[in-house]
Amino acid sequence: MTTAISIRNVTKSFGGLMALNDVSFDFAAGRIIGLIGPNGSGKSTLVNVLTGQFQRTSGSLRFGEHEIGTLRADEIVRLGVARTYQIPKMPPQLTISEIIEVPLHYVARRTPLLEKLSGPEAIARFCGLTQPVSTPCGQLSVPDLRRLEVARAVACGPSVILLDETMAGLSPADATQVVDLVRAINAAGVTVVLIEHVMRIINLLCEQVVVLNNGALLTSGAPASVLAEPAVREAYLGKGYVQ
Amino acid sequence: MSTKIVWRLPVYLAIGLLGGGFAYWADPYLIQIALGVVVAALLALSWDVLSRCGQVSLGHAGFFGIGAYFSAMFAEFHPAIPWIAGIGACAIAAALLGMLTLRLQRVYFTIATLGFALALQVPVLIFDGWTGGAGGIAPALVAGGDPAAQLLVGTALLVIAAVISDVVLSAWFRPAFFMIRTKPELAASSGVPVVRTKLLAFVMSGALGGAAGVLYAGLYGYIVPGDVFNLNWSVLPLAVTILGGMDTTLGPLLGTIVLRLLEEVARAYIGGVGYQVVYGGVIIFFIAVMPTGLYGFLRGIVMRLRSDATKADKP
Repeated sequence: MTTAISIRNVTKSFGGLMALNDVSFDFAAGRIIGLIGPNGSGKSTLVNVLTGQFQRTSGSLRFGEHEIGTLRADEIVRLGVARTYQIPKMPPQLTISEIIEVPLHYVARRTPLLEKLSGPEAIARFCGLTQPVSTPCGQLSVPDLRRLEVARAVACGPSVILLDETMAGLSPADATQVVDLVRAINAAGVTVVLIEHVMRIINLLCEQVVVLNNGALLTSGAPASVLAEPAVREAYLGKGYVQ
Repeated sequence: MSTKIVWRLPVYLAIGLLGGGFAYWADPYLIQIALGVVVAALLALSWDVLSRCGQVSLGHAGFFGIGAYFSAMFAEFHPAIPWIAGIGACAIAAALLGMLTLRLQRVYFTIATLGFALALQVPVLIFDGWTGGAGGIAPALVAGGDPAAQLLVGTALLVIAAVISDVVLSAWFRPAFFMIRTKPELAASSGVPVVRTKLLAFVMSGALGGAAGVLYAGLYGYIVPGDVFNLNWSVLPLAVTILGGMDTTLGPLLGTIVLRLLEEVARAYIGGVGYQVVYGGVIIFFIAVMPTGLYGFLRGIVMRLRSDATKADKP
């Protein structure tokens, strides 16, 4: 099994608050991986540290032969690690096509998936957007903005994509469509990291689950065994609910 | 949608014909008004280019003054040298100031640029051997001091500024600039080097502001610090751009022309100092009823007429 991203002894503190505390684990290449944990467990901080939004306080983050812990966000995405944002905030006057063109211009990576999907329109359709690509973002619904966020990340031509709560608040029909999309992205050889609260989706899609709690690694492994662990149930539900 | 430069050729032609027409046929008074409009429009375009990536500057009087003073300090050389010195000094000043301030967001950046503009009078007074100090300095006259020829030079500069503005509104820059303005993290996650792009915008903006200063200094051949490092030159581009329409090339131009017309009309009909109150009130009224500026308002009317015409065509 090859490793996509290797995280070793990573710590991130904000003043006195330890958001990540000596976290070490690997993301296996080519898999769909779930990154879960209760609110405040450090998932978003880890995503931000991995993608260059924050600099880690200490530790090592390796992507292939690159140490990405000290790089800027735009440098990391050019190496092939893309992410989406939980709350997509797009410039309302830009069109679907213009949003997708930004990474096509600035990241300009050529991957098998992008070879297949030539141009913004094909990427938008692949990600489930049905509107004309000349539609301004200001006219899109929240589920469509989420799809556009995924399309923007796909246009980065990543070999690892981190999807930050893409399914939150989606209807069951919309969520099913995103499940198919995640599978299609993964089938093109892209490692997918799902940061999710919806356990049904984690169970359905993931081959590896990493659980964070209070900024530390709680456990990591196959979904069925991880989700059955009392420590994980306790972290999510509280002590009184675990038999 | 992003601008395609080729489609904008009629716009550049219109600016050229308007400026050229005034230079050949207008009376001296109107030529002076047109020169004032060209200087203000250059400064407004310079301000708008930067504002597209979310940086609101109150420091453009600084670039205006640096352009004017550096051109004056190199007045005795070949006529091209004052332009190169003024514009080059502004580009360098913008790069240095940008490295210090562009990580600041929103009002913090604005205050930093205001401080820059306010502080610049001090070195002019200190280094009076080069700058002439409080007594002022004599820059070389642009086009030998002939107002009509000066208007042609100004019009040419304005066309260049319009092309630069349109390049910033093209598919390569516009989405990245707007992304930086709305959510810089999103731009960075899309591969845009945020600080470097903002620095590029600042250097382009500073250089254009400097060009306005060089032109202004060369119109009359004499400047003093309080004239060019005057905060009016920081507020004017902001006011006319908001009035005319931000994020466009025609908006700042339209805003400058309309504001100047308003000023002339108010001065003629009201006079004294009272005209400034009326003129200020009219600006506030315009901004309140047209949040997208004159350009946006007119564009809205055209789009509505077009969609009505399309509906009427359908049986």
